[in-house]
This record gives sequence, structure tokens and C-alpha cells, in this order.
Amino acid sequence: MRRVLIIDDEDDIREVAALSLEAVAGWHILTASSGAEGIDIAIAEQPDAILMDVMMPGVDGPTTFRTMQNTPAIAKIPVLLLTAKVQGVDQRRFADLNVAAILFKPFDPLTLAQQISDVLGWRDNQPATI
Amino acid sequence: MSDQPSTPEPSALEKTQALLASLWQRNLPTLRQRLDTLDQAVAVEPIAPGLLNEAIIIAHKLSGSLGLFGHHHATEIARELEHLFRNPSSAAPGRTKFLTQELRTTLALPEAPPTA
Repeated sequence: MRRVLIIDDEDDIREVAALSLEAVAGWHILTASSGAEGIDIAIAEQPDAILMDVMMPGVDGPTTFRTMQNTPAIAKIPVLLLTAKVQGVDQRRFADLNVAAILFKPFDPLTLAQQISDVLGWRDNQPATI
Repeated sequence: MSDQPSTPEPSALEKTQALLASLWQRNLPTLRQRLDTLDQAVAVEPIAPGLLNEAIIIAHKLSGSLGLFGHHHATEIARELEHLFRNPSSAAPGRTKFLTQELRTTLALPEAPPTA
């Protein structure tokens, strides 16, 4: 079973993303409300991927990502950034980060798992059987 | 003992819709607060520096979350607001105030009446 860590300061986003990934793909979801908390959980739990918000109070997503890259225990975990589209803003500002992907909000809860699987090349995102 | 048919497990769609409905209600106070802050920010042009950063963050958060609840037009309004807040020189006079009011109208969340 895939294990995905969601890092977002917004409760709604965490809850909807977690439910959608659990219900649609049967993944085990971990959540964190800040970059610092996310790093601690990532080190302890070693998720298969991390879905992280860009705009968070305090330490933002890109800064957290750089810290992750400099933390050997979690440097190889693929990170997908989640951000609201901004008119006229060049998304290439994330290009130097070497993240696995940029996903945009608002996301479709029913296709988020497929988006993540497609980016990471996961072929086993079938709903869990009960 | 009679066999009662078991209630089928809700589908992913049903679970998601139920959660979204619940979250929308839960977050109405926060949403109203955010709209009030935007109203305060756009009341005077140019926007006070102290309010501008907060307005950017609010518009950004709204543009990323309102669409989850089906408010796609409101998402577009929030995106334009964020763009104008980030690029104040590109905003026509009164545009941000107009958009903020339109955001309220679209979400059917009128301003609270002034207290006496």
C-alpha cells in the first residue's frame, strides 16, 4: 500500500486530499500542517511521496523542500508541490527546485490520485479491497 | 432471524461530496472573516502595505480552495484579485473593490450590517 504524506497549513485541503487519496486509491495518508512537522513525519515514517503546499506561513513549501533535499534520510522521497495557479506568474520559478511535479489547486478530488500516480509512474493505484 | 440487506459502502464520490459539504459549513466563519479583511484592504486605494500582504495571501488561499467546493467563478475572481494585489499598478481604479464585492455576491455571503 502506498504511503503519502500531505503537508498543508489549510485543514480543508489536508482533509479533502487525504480522503480522496484514501477513498479513490486506497493509499495510507499521513498529514502535517507545517513544513517542520512534515519533515519530522517524513523522517519517522518514510512515505513513498510527499504532497506539499507552496504557500505556508512561516517556512514555505520551497524552503521546506530545500531542507528535505539537505536531509539524507528523506532526500530521495519524491515531492510534489501543490499551489494555486496565479495569473501571469511564471511557474518556472519552481524549475530550479527539482521537485517531481507541480500540481495546481483547486484539484479534482476524484482524479488527484491518478495525477500523482502518473507523475511518479505508479501503476498500482487500485482502490483497496475491503 | 431475518436477513437485512447491508447498507452499501458509500462510493468515493459520495464520501468526498459529504466531506466537502461538511467542510463548507464548518469554514463559513473563516471565509466571512477573509472577505471582511479583503473589504478592509480595498476600501482605500492604494492598499495600505500592512493589509496588502494579507490580501495577497487571502486571495491566493481562496483561489486554491473555492474550486474544491464548486465555486469556479469565485476561483477566477480570487485569481484576478491576487494578480492585482501583486501588481497594483495594473489595477484600474476601483477594480479590486468591485471584484471583492463580486466575490461576495458569487458566494452569496453579504457583508454584515454595521453595528449601531
